[in-house]
Amino acid sequence: MTALLEIENLHARVDGKPILKGVSLSIAPGEVHAIMGPNGSGKSTLAFVLAGHEAYEVTDGSIRFGDEDLLAMEPEERAHAGLFLAMQYPVEIPGVGNLYFLRQALNAVRKARGLEEISAAEFLRKAREEARRLGIGEELLKRDLNVGFSGGEKKRNEILQMALLEPRLAVLDETDSGLDIDALRVVAEGVNRMRSPERGFLVITHYQRLLEYIVPDVVHVMVDGRIRRTGGPELARELEARGYEAFVGRLAA
Amino acid sequence: MAERIGRRRQIAPDPSFAARFEELTRRLSEPQPLAQARARAFARFFELGIPTRRDEAWKFTDVTRAVNRPMRLAEPRPVAVELLAPYRLGGEQAHRLVFLNGRFAPELSDCARLDGRITVTSLAELARTRPELLAHSLDALDDGRSFTALNAALVEDGAWIELAAGSQLAEPLQLLFITSGREEAVMAHPRCILRLGPACALTLIETHVGLGEAAALTNLVVQLSLAEGAFLAHDRLAFAGANQTLLAKLDGELHARSRYCQTTVVVGGALVRTEQELRIEGAEAECLLAGVALPRAHETVDNFVRVHHRAGGSHSDQHFKSIVADRGHHVFAGKIIVHPGAQKTNAYQKNDNLLLGDNAEVDTKPELEIYADDVKCSHGATCSDLDASALFYLRARGLDLETSRALLMHAFAREVIDRLRDESARALAERMVTARLGERAPLLRAEPLEEAS
Ligand SMILES: Nc1ncnc2c1ncn2[C@@H]1O[C@H](COP(=O)(O)OP(=O)(O)OP(=O)(O)O)[C@@H](O)[C@H]1O
Ligand SMILES: [Mg+2]
Repeated sequence: MTALLEIENLHARVDGKPILKGVSLSIAPGEVHAIMGPNGSGKSTLAFVLAGHEAYEVTDGSIRFGDEDLLAMEPEERAHAGLFLAMQYPVEIPGVGNLYFLRQALNAVRKARGLEEISAAEFLRKAREEARRLGIGEELLKRDLNVGFSGGEKKRNEILQMALLEPRLAVLDETDSGLDIDALRVVAEGVNRMRSPERGFLVITHYQRLLEYIVPDVVHVMVDGRIRRTGGPELARELEARGYEAFVGRLAA
Repeated sequence: MAERIGRRRQIAPDPSFAARFEELTRRLSEPQPLAQARARAFARFFELGIPTRRDEAWKFTDVTRAVNRPMRLAEPRPVAVELLAPYRLGGEQAHRLVFLNGRFAPELSDCARLDGRITVTSLAELARTRPELLAHSLDALDDGRSFTALNAALVEDGAWIELAAGSQLAEPLQLLFITSGREEAVMAHPRCILRLGPACALTLIETHVGLGEAAALTNLVVQLSLAEGAFLAHDRLAFAGANQTLLAKLDGELHARSRYCQTTVVVGGALVRTEQELRIEGAEAECLLAGVALPRAHETVDNFVRVHHRAGGSHSDQHFKSIVADRGHHVFAGKIIVHPGAQKTNAYQKNDNLLLGDNAEVDTKPELEIYADDVKCSHGATCSDLDASALFYLRARGLDLETSRALLMHAFAREVIDRLRDESARALAERMVTARLGERAPLLRAEPLEEAS
């Protein structure tokens, strides 16, 4: 069976500075992988490289998404192919309405996937239903995209986009940070609702707590631009108990 | 030669101006006071000359090439009614004055519903019926600017508009200026004088539309005065032709507790210069100015603003934007002057520019001059390309690059468009801006969504 995502020996740099130093990772359809690791270890960099941000320059390695060469694709083509990145810091875009944008994005993706445009009424029904489940009020839907949203509202809004765009692979970059306990549960339920045998998730987090709600199949530990250890959910608990310090120290020694 | 011209603050006007002036005075053969006022203005024009870039007020824009050349006095060329239809704004109830090449065209205008609350007289008629009043008004405005003087010398038509005390009009008044030429370069010098009595309210829509490829100069002067407690919303839309120059001078006087809200959208025109001098003369007046300009190709939009606070407790706010593409050029020179004694003034000024490409040019000069101590003032300017992270965010959600760019530009302009008071003006501005930014950014409004719910 082909992997959903196959990263091999990925090297990438920002501003000429090497950040990813040989990352290899394989996600099968239906799997949830988690990446943990200290601040600045390169987790968001990996997420941005996957989504195609041009500030991140790939210097070596390959990424296959299904049977496609991900690195040859533009960011929007990746979205069309079913990749979704929920950003650690969602961007505020004044002048672009949240709902309006959501419909544009959904129709762009549907069009690329050979589906018909969604009608305004059908779109509104879906968007409102998802929003309600995620505890996003009507007022927030009408505001400009992410403008003046609280940290938690931004994260919920990312999950709303994910739910409507129905990606094959969702990369969640610290979607749990900044969420209160109730919001964390709501967001995790949003993710769990979407788990399916075809869909994969790459969940970047600092906290074991999220992984109690979204139970991963595989946990990776990234340190200094490399995956230093891979294991099951118990690895997350071990990290929670012992911290990275010992980890990094042991590896460095 | 060009070098030497560049060193002087002004150059002598083309001799053809004198010929045009003679031609006009002979044709009109007006009575003394008015003829004399014109003659004084024309002498003043020659004294002031055509400003070069040495003149502080024209530091970033060379107006000489567009203006200092032989031009005929524009004739009112007939225009097909259908061509005007998209530009007739303000709805069914609006009062509307249409000007063809600077001349009032009653057959195209809508003046039937004018009543005692508002008096409208064409300037040509005023020149016949009350020449001394027009003469006085021409004399009254000497701002030391060449083109104001030229306008006073060569003005043929325009409008005199007065609102009696307490007149609050729900329906807008539109001034629609159509400029069209065939082959020869033409010029028109319309003037509008608008006086709002105490506690009046009006929405004024000023629209400039250029038709045809020929070169043309429209040199407009608008004189505004707002008496105590008056309110004027002023929507200005300029869609000038690719070979047309629009010089629009506005001189305004704001008395106590009056409010003036101006919103300007400029899409098109070889050179569009909006120059304004607003004087807050009474306490607690409010003056809100916003604008967006979208020069592209070789177009220049020059925005020159002076806001004087001469009385205390007043508020002024300027937010001007531009989106500059190709070899387009945008100039913003804005100054707030807080005069001695104008305590408790709040005055803000902001100029934000989007530069698309290496050849686009923006010159921005926001300035403050403050002679009072208890004031809150700020000013600032930004110049940037589209925000890279916003662009990435949109693309990462599936919008292609071109759509994402158009969407961000549209969003940038929208902040100003949304401030247009009149709904039909907003819709037209939106269409013009969308057309210019490329059809890929569908209209941003959420109405179709709301209807569906
Ligand atoms: N656009 C950028 N320009 C310059 N340096 C960058 C940029 N993006 C990331 N870096 C640097 O790359 C390194 C890795 O950053 P990254 O954001 O990938 O870490 P992270 O693992 O996501 O950290 P955190 O847990 O704090 O989110 C850091 O040293 C960061 O400063
Ligand atoms: Mg990060």
